[in-house]
Amino acid sequence: MRRADYVIKRTFFAFVTIFVAITLNFFLFRVIPGDAVSNLARVPHATPALRQALEEEFGLDKPKWEQYLIYLKQLAHGNMGVSFANQEPVWSNLKTALANTLPMVTLGTVIAIVIGLITGVLSAWRRKTKLDHISTNVAIAFYAFPTQWLALVLLIYLSGFLPSHGMTNDFLLNPTPWEHFKDVGLHMILPAMTLALTLYGQYTLVVRSSMLETLGEDYVLTARAKGFTQRKVVTRHALRNAMLPTTTLIALSLGYIVAGAILIETVFSWPGIGSAVYQAVTQRDYPMLQGAFLVLTVSVVAANFVADLLYFKLDPRITE
Amino acid sequence: MGENRTPRSRTPLRGTRIVTLLAVAAMVAAGCSSGGNEEPQKSGQSQQVVEGGTLRLGTTSTIDSINPFVGFQANSFLVWQSIWPYLGTYDEDNKIVPFWATSWDASPDGLTYTFHLHPDTKWSDGQPMTASDAAFTINTIIKYQDGPTGSWAGNVTNMKEVDAPDPATVVVHYSKPSGNALSQLIGIPILPEHVWGTFATGDGKALKTEAKDAVTPTEDQPVVSGGPFELAEYKKDDIALLQRNPNYTLTAKPHIDGFGIQIYSNEDAMITAFKNGDLDAIEGVPTTNVASLKAAGFTINNTPGVFFYDFIINSNPKKPEHQELLDPKVKEALEYAVDRQQIIDVALGGYGSPGASIVPPATGDWSDPNVKPLPFDIDQANQILDSLGFQRGDGGIRVADGHPMEYTVIIPNSQQAVLSRTFQIIQPDFQEIGVKLTLKVLDPSAAFDAIGAPDYKYLDFDLAMWDWIPFPDPSYILNVVMCDQYGSNSDSGYCNPAYDKLWDQQASTVDQDERRQIVYQMQEILFNDRPYIVLNYPDVIDAFDSDNWAGFYNESGFGIFINNSTLTMNSVHQT
Repeated sequence: MRRADYVIKRTFFAFVTIFVAITLNFFLFRVIPGDAVSNLARVPHATPALRQALEEEFGLDKPKWEQYLIYLKQLAHGNMGVSFANQEPVWSNLKTALANTLPMVTLGTVIAIVIGLITGVLSAWRRKTKLDHISTNVAIAFYAFPTQWLALVLLIYLSGFLPSHGMTNDFLLNPTPWEHFKDVGLHMILPAMTLALTLYGQYTLVVRSSMLETLGEDYVLTARAKGFTQRKVVTRHALRNAMLPTTTLIALSLGYIVAGAILIETVFSWPGIGSAVYQAVTQRDYPMLQGAFLVLTVSVVAANFVADLLYFKLDPRITE
Repeated sequence: MGENRTPRSRTPLRGTRIVTLLAVAAMVAAGCSSGGNEEPQKSGQSQQVVEGGTLRLGTTSTIDSINPFVGFQANSFLVWQSIWPYLGTYDEDNKIVPFWATSWDASPDGLTYTFHLHPDTKWSDGQPMTASDAAFTINTIIKYQDGPTGSWAGNVTNMKEVDAPDPATVVVHYSKPSGNALSQLIGIPILPEHVWGTFATGDGKALKTEAKDAVTPTEDQPVVSGGPFELAEYKKDDIALLQRNPNYTLTAKPHIDGFGIQIYSNEDAMITAFKNGDLDAIEGVPTTNVASLKAAGFTINNTPGVFFYDFIINSNPKKPEHQELLDPKVKEALEYAVDRQQIIDVALGGYGSPGASIVPPATGDWSDPNVKPLPFDIDQANQILDSLGFQRGDGGIRVADGHPMEYTVIIPNSQQAVLSRTFQIIQPDFQEIGVKLTLKVLDPSAAFDAIGAPDYKYLDFDLAMWDWIPFPDPSYILNVVMCDQYGSNSDSGYCNPAYDKLWDQQASTVDQDERRQIVYQMQEILFNDRPYIVLNYPDVIDAFDSDNWAGFYNESGFGIFINNSTLTMNSVHQT
């Protein structure tokens, strides 16, 4: 029963959070100075009629609360509206951008997690040795580098060897599926590597400190006393218990994967969700912004929800 | 000319330039047969023409939409002018020359224009391309000009309707004589009626929202095209790939198999790719990269642009505060304190020329040669302000009508690199004449809002800086300071009924010499009233790999690529 209660409570909170976020997003974008029509209405010999026609077309002539109700109603029907900028459905714009972003950001994040786990565990295990110092300092350094700087350095030094623009070689005509796969893979290396390098440091540090904590616990001492091998003590007894804070961190960052990586996408001209959001902000493309933030909200909330459930599984104390 | 609608100059994205038309039969033929003796570049001597190949062009300016009723960015125009036919086009000196129409004549009253088209032309899908496609396109724009086709309304001002009495004749009827009829008409891309006809019904909204299939190439079905190229592939914010249109007969066929416009979201990435040989040419080279590209052996093409930066002084006569800024003497003093050469040297890296008129010299003879910038002269500026009785107060700042002469200068962050440096030069010079400036950087949308505040009445702001990109024809740029542009193009609050009257007059003067005199008079009024202090015309800088490519054309004021014709793409070739 307790478990069901917990799940229901979490689900309810998740939906409330999403609703509040939708509402905030709707009004947030509309209070930024600058209006959506002024860009589109500035054409040669523009007339007040054109401005008015655009406002009517976008429904911006109605009072804000009415626009909000219309937005909610549309959303309830699964309709995210039409982008002001390119007049295409928001969902189709977002789908393309997400499909471009997800593989690259996921790859980068997974690599970051793997490197973070390995270096974090090693540092804790061999704490205060040279290995620990080097690994921790390097992790801090990469964590501290500005993303765009690291991206540009990699671009300048490696772009002769690896592609640095977009997702595919557009001049590769009629590629076979294998050629296409290889092409996309090669294009993904630089941006995914940049992302992995900038992200992995935080995992190293979190894993290291929680490992240090568990390594000092009595049960680890007991395990050692039982004569288990070092490796077994670390992986079976210490690491498992050290995974709790790491799980939260991983779940949260998985949620943010859909936000893309604006800076990395910009440097490598990756046509993903990060650059789509950036453009939507500069163009005051409200439907695109609302759509993108909705997707982001839902995935962060969902990732948190999953983390909560996992916690429940990982740590039975939570129900007590 | 010019009325081809612009990818609006004040956009949030940088590097927008206007683009319009297609190549001229005569021009291209000459360019091809003579092995490029018209080449403006220092790219070397006439080289042999190797047919085929794909030119890879890098840019940092995006293609917002292939649909001409939706997009407005410069590179969208580059695609349109490559894939659709236009009645006429421009040559390198911005003169109007034949294209789809081989000739045209105007009735003596200036109310009717008749275009005689190349006969027997076909769209890329094999359907006949005739005068009725032209009539359909232009009539559709006229019909929906207050709504879905509003971005082309400037091209059909005073136009009543268009007929196609036979497949090779287009007749355009005006309700009033039009001084820039030709430039208006040759700016319109002609769309295939058999593809677009279904969208131009009812309220016409389908032209914007439903026409996606008409402009989306599929695996084996390029976009139905009538220009030298057809659109084979388009990925938003990534690439547009164009290939030769097999049915194109308006001029000689291009030498290249096609070209690709690759969109970079980062200048450094584009420069690096160019240096690595991943691109054959790039448009809009940052001045800071010119030296290193030259050193790497690339050819740089720079030409004085039509683009200009301007220092805006709120000129709305109804402005409640800081009314001293409405005084022509004060404005004159401010201009004396602007060191134009220093701005060019520092903010533009030396690549630009000083400006005075909003009709740039690069547009040809529309620019009034008598409008010249005032010299940089701090003493003169001080004398004028002294003579007005504005005494210096605290910190040497002058006091006008009881308040210190302290103003905020608004600039858009899209042009921050150049304009914040410009501000750093202007600010200390103004300090010397007792005027204190502070900078306010906003994103373009917010900046335009702040300038128009409240509610596009232009009452609150004092000073700003921004840019414009005029067309070859002066009608559009002279229009942006008119009373009816409040809330649309106006960014100065300037409203002068006498000036507006002159604009109407030039718009209906068919005799171009007579029209030019009115246009000169308008430029002089603007120079003296100074809604803008025109600062400079930056060069347009393009670069290409001259070891392997030749046949590039430079259009005055626009450069090689983002210009008003397809001269370059029709004549460029491998060597």
